Amino acid sequence: MRNLITGNELCARAAIDAGCRFFAGYPITPASAIFANLVRELPRRGGVAMSSPDEISAIAYCIGASLRGIPSMTATSGPGWCLMSESVGYALMAEVPVVIAVVQRLGPSTGGATAGAQGDIGLVSEAVSGGYRFPIFSPSTAAECYTDTLRAFYWAERLRSPVVLLSDKEVASTAEVVDDEALPALVSPGRSEWRGGPVGYRTYAFEKEEDVPLFAPVGGSAKVTATGSAHDQAGLLRKNDPETLGVMRHLQAKIDAAEPELGRVDFDYQEGATTLVLSYGVSARASRDAVAQARSMGRRVSLGVLRTLFPLPVTALHAGLAGIERVVIPEENHGGLYRNAVLSALGKREVVGVNRVGALIRPEEILDAII
Amino acid sequence: MQSSEPAPAPFLADCALPYCKGCGHSLVVRSLADAMQQSGLAPEHLCIVSDIGCVGLIDRLFPTVHTVHTTHGRSTAFATGLAVADGALCGGRTRFVVVIGDGGSTIGLLHLVAAAQLNVDVTVVLHNNHVYGMTGGQASGMSPEDWNTVTTPDGNPLLPLDMMGILRAAGAGYLARELATSRSLTGRLVEAMAHPGFSLVEVIEVCTAFGTKLNRLTGPEVRALAERTGEPLGLREQRLGRRHYAEVARPPDEPTETGTRVQSRVVVASALKAPLRVVVAGTAGERVQSAAALCARLATAAGLYATQKNDNLVTQGTGYSLSEMILSPSPIHYTGIDAPDAILAVSADGWNTVRGLARTLAPGGVILVDDTIPGVPEGLPALVRLPLRREAGRDDAALAALAWLLARTGALPPQALADAAVATHGEKAAGAVRAIAWGAAEANRGGD
Repeated sequence: MRNLITGNELCARAAIDAGCRFFAGYPITPASAIFANLVRELPRRGGVAMSSPDEISAIAYCIGASLRGIPSMTATSGPGWCLMSESVGYALMAEVPVVIAVVQRLGPSTGGATAGAQGDIGLVSEAVSGGYRFPIFSPSTAAECYTDTLRAFYWAERLRSPVVLLSDKEVASTAEVVDDEALPALVSPGRSEWRGGPVGYRTYAFEKEEDVPLFAPVGGSAKVTATGSAHDQAGLLRKNDPETLGVMRHLQAKIDAAEPELGRVDFDYQEGATTLVLSYGVSARASRDAVAQARSMGRRVSLGVLRTLFPLPVTALHAGLAGIERVVIPEENHGGLYRNAVLSALGKREVVGVNRVGALIRPEEILDAII
Repeated sequence: MQSSEPAPAPFLADCALPYCKGCGHSLVVRSLADAMQQSGLAPEHLCIVSDIGCVGLIDRLFPTVHTVHTTHGRSTAFATGLAVADGALCGGRTRFVVVIGDGGSTIGLLHLVAAAQLNVDVTVVLHNNHVYGMTGGQASGMSPEDWNTVTTPDGNPLLPLDMMGILRAAGAGYLARELATSRSLTGRLVEAMAHPGFSLVEVIEVCTAFGTKLNRLTGPEVRALAERTGEPLGLREQRLGRRHYAEVARPPDEPTETGTRVQSRVVVASALKAPLRVVVAGTAGERVQSAAALCARLATAAGLYATQKNDNLVTQGTGYSLSEMILSPSPIHYTGIDAPDAILAVSADGWNTVRGLARTLAPGGVILVDDTIPGVPEGLPALVRLPLRREAGRDDAALAALAWLLARTGALPPQALADAAVATHGEKAAGAVRAIAWGAAEANRGGD
């Protein structure tokens, strides 16, 4: 059935379909609709959706619930993300699955609660000390909010890692037509759980650094030792010993090893094109129109819509960049936050940014950069 | 006579404790281990959630219970999530014990307040040694007045926070203060862990690295210090009756069907050949956005593509309210409206917000403005003035304007909009139906 529905509503629905059973939230425009929808729906589906007194508590509640074995999620915008970032580092270090939907709005600071932006790419991707890159997915339509929320849960649970669904005000809160039947199903295998009984469990045990340690819930028969401090494979505080250094490498290695599978760029190729428009989120929508206009003018141009921002989807990009000499990257922020991050994956190609702050990038501006 | 029951497993590891000589933490850890043993709970049903500071060195000391070592001040919040999930979704068999210092309890004060307010099954052991020890002896929010610390060399000018008073006000059901050296401490911890809901035991001790070095303190003086920095020692609060949050949040056993958003069931065909970009603006609370939503849902049911986004003042209930809506026979990517095909202003608030768009009107576009709105330049191209508010009423003026537009452009039959209003609101839609009929009739009269 065709419905007029927002990305935030579909994000909430996808969370339930993905097995989310715990949500804690603090209100913030333009993410509050996720909170409101889950408060209404999650208890009917066997879960808990609770309010917290601030964003610091919201994500800590989620991490606590996830340590108990419950797939968990929170939702916020840039100002709330800033408060959460301390605990995002904890989730990465302590290997706790959690999904955080970040609906970007205009910054800096309070900025514009009801104005769109793509200004939090750096704030989100570099929130964790040490250069660690956790998965960040980026929908550009309401339907993709559904798909990418499913992907976020799939990878959070599979990798025992925080995963961010990074949408923006325009994509998340504009109602548009979505056909229910076209929404994909993605069955999550969930966490790989320890089934060895009460003895012998080590919270962070792995053989190869890219392996994901088996999960056991706090409160189960196997004793859990979880920590955000540098630790060995047993979860005990240690530093500067080879095992601990291995754990520190492992935290990124497990994510990087999954890059070929979790990296996703939706390409719309045109034969013989040497220009690629590479975009994400709301700006990918204007890019789609700009590419269509350029083609109608006889220009050969390809389009790439980034559905995974981080880790850099180098495998998908490598395939999509064949024959491309010039890359146009529209995004709604100063200086090209993603352009700078992705530069290393673009080789010696000419790279052109199309940037604007405080208003939508228009298709005509992108068209100018294409031709 | 021999007991057939095996001796309970010792909770404390057989190793040297990592704390400074004379530090109260060693006494608290021993009391906590004894209390856990006396509680009769199996180790797998106990979890220590530790904060940052010397209290955070506890993981190794309790080799059989679950341990979660967290970040500074946040331990209570992590424990709250654990306890709600455990109680609401996992049968509620686990007791969570937070170990936190005085520094952690002030940076994480709101987490303690919230845990008390939620009444979660969490026991907090607040190690109050009146100073930040691990970072070098700085004053904390619980340092006694006049105390010498590294950051208050002339004496602490502030009064220490009264944690009992703060948490009592937040609804804590069990509160106690004890000296680390007290024989009552173990019993208090047993009581606290058995209390259904939130409990906190403040343990008064002295940091031997900094507290005693900078302030003259002997054993009896610690008791005097405790008495002048807060409520008397002993049990301070013990009451039942409030429901735990986990009980409140526990979902029903049987899942129920999710309610889906009301979508228009009215079946209708559209004659729209090109995108129609509309800005409709009015005053908050006058159903501008819901009128646009009804129209966009009707378009969706008619097989069109539609987008709708809303804007209003941050106050929500006052000032302007507007919707930007695109109806199109083909998919819509860019949702901005740079050249509107129609600007509909049904109140002065609305007109003042969108009047600047008049100069961007698309060729062939139209501007419809309520005829009571002052200051509308008569020379505007394609301007139509109609008594929208008078004829349709303020709450249905936007619907009347949209019906006028649908009739004028042939995008959708206005009657279908009226049917959609009835399908959504039933008898309450009578005014809307009249407004739509009036708007459509005005368009058919060729009101420009």
